[in-house]
Amino acid sequence: MTETPDIYIRLESVSKAYRIAGQAIPIFSGLDLAIPRGDFVAVMGPSGSGKSTLLNMLAGIDRPDAGRVRIGTHQLDQMGEAARGAWRAHHMGIVFQFYNLLPMLNAAENVELPLLLKPLSARERRLRVERVLDLVGLSGRERQYPGMMSGGQQQRVGIARAIVADPGLLLCDEPTGDLDRTSADDILEMLQTLNQVLGKTILMVTHDPQAARLAKRTLHLDKGVFVEEARAPR
Amino acid sequence: MSFYSLAKRNALRKPLRAVLLIICIAIAFLIYGLTTSFLGGAQSASAASEDILGITSAGGRAQALPIQLLSRLADIPDVAAVGYVARLRGYAGVEKNRIAVSAADMPRLMQVNGKGLGLTPALLSAMDGARDRVLVGRALAEAQGWVVGQRVTITAFDVFRQAGGRDWRFEIAGIFDGETASTDTYFMIARFDYVNAVRARGRDMVDAFVVLPSPAVSPAVLAARIDARFSSSATPTQTQSEKQFLEAFLRQYADVGLIVNLVVGAAFVTLLMIVINTMIFAIRERTFEIGVLKTLGFSRGHIVALVLVETFFVVLLGGSVGLSLAWLAAQLAGAELGLVFSGAVLAKGVAIMVALSLATGALPAIAALRIPVINAFRTR
Repeated sequence: MTETPDIYIRLESVSKAYRIAGQAIPIFSGLDLAIPRGDFVAVMGPSGSGKSTLLNMLAGIDRPDAGRVRIGTHQLDQMGEAARGAWRAHHMGIVFQFYNLLPMLNAAENVELPLLLKPLSARERRLRVERVLDLVGLSGRERQYPGMMSGGQQQRVGIARAIVADPGLLLCDEPTGDLDRTSADDILEMLQTLNQVLGKTILMVTHDPQAARLAKRTLHLDKGVFVEEARAPR
Repeated sequence: MSFYSLAKRNALRKPLRAVLLIICIAIAFLIYGLTTSFLGGAQSASAASEDILGITSAGGRAQALPIQLLSRLADIPDVAAVGYVARLRGYAGVEKNRIAVSAADMPRLMQVNGKGLGLTPALLSAMDGARDRVLVGRALAEAQGWVVGQRVTITAFDVFRQAGGRDWRFEIAGIFDGETASTDTYFMIARFDYVNAVRARGRDMVDAFVVLPSPAVSPAVLAARIDARFSSSATPTQTQSEKQFLEAFLRQYADVGLIVNLVVGAAFVTLLMIVINTMIFAIRERTFEIGVLKTLGFSRGHIVALVLVETFFVVLLGGSVGLSLAWLAAQLAGAELGLVFSGAVLAKGVAIMVALSLATGALPAIAALRIPVINAFRTR
């Protein structure tokens, strides 16, 4: 399978419905999306518009009922669960709203988790962990446990965990939704850096218009259709 | 960090629960270790030989046999050696300190079972001279604090001396160790000629003959042949292997093996349910985290391995503590209890740990596998 030039994420005619009490509740029907490599896209929309479902499908933890989901050279809708898991381990990082760190592991160990799936020596893993923790400004806090950290610090650990395996794609699910304004701005600035300096393709679901403004473009998802927000060139 | 340390962290994340679980497993393995050591020890039949035949009266063990049968037994084809034993049961000092004395013809006993009892030519020579000399088993000597050269008095329950009284005085000529740790050495061997000459009743009668079959014949075949030879005589016999003899003796009181198996089985079934229940509960608590791991790319195999290693860690830790305590108990309990914590007990214990880990880890692992990531995130 070949990657379409410039387009990294492509959704074609994607449909998804949930069945509740035997009744199909459609989320999307024939949804299309194309995101170039290196883009930073914010997805906004009202509750129930399907933002999380979209993110789950792009992360390969949910599958469309119909249509195609292609990221890079990988067509996720055609891959089995094991193959999608392996793809996630190597090509995608995810940042959660509530950080989702494992409480019994310290910051360095949480960040190291994705590296356990790679054929790296303990020394190589340690060096990579030190590097990304330094990158997110947590150098010296390697041994701290999540319970000892602020929300902003925990989210930095979450971002470090998402990028430690050097994935091309970063999916962020309301990454600032649980943070105060200052911490939120720090995190958004960090995401911008990851996009601009390291070239990560970022798709961020958010309710926060300020967060969305820091993305290169904003898509509004409503009634199963994307509408791109017009904005003045930066 | 490694997969192993991740599993270990999971196992110990709730220290109190982990400690209680480990104690529970340790107790089950302690029960296993003690009971199996007992079965494998000198107080059970498992250490007895299947190759040496014991011949008693078909009318019951209480009926003695005339020593004259010796020559007829020796003439039976495939009897490699034959000896005889008269038993003298009594106590030393206080009645509850029971002592068993086997009065035997020493050279014949050496031929039949010298190797099994650990009798050496030097020990045999030590019995020459005074007729009241005895050889004492290591377990008995250590339990009583007896040493070579000491004179001891055994008060017989029912064997009277011609001169009157039931006190039998012996001089300890040597101590025998038995061939293996599980050989019963909690008894003493006296000279038959002395006991036979001094006792008031039952002269020239023996409680049992012991026969060593030739290598060419099966002990069971020879046993049948011996009993057939005496079946129509005035003294019909019952011939059994030493092991059968001892098992039958113990079965008079209880089927020790069955009781031990039931106790160990009950302990492990209870343990299995406790560990499975606790592990399933622990995994259910971590549904969300398993969802996170799956999102990070951990495969089904990784998740199963994590749960199994976690279970194995807990079982191994508890099992090791339990078996160590059982070993310690076997060392400290003294020879009277006859506990033998052998390599076989340890190997079987380790095998049970592995099987138990798999059995208790399988259900929680399957439960973890079945958690869809999206559902896992909803449990937050």
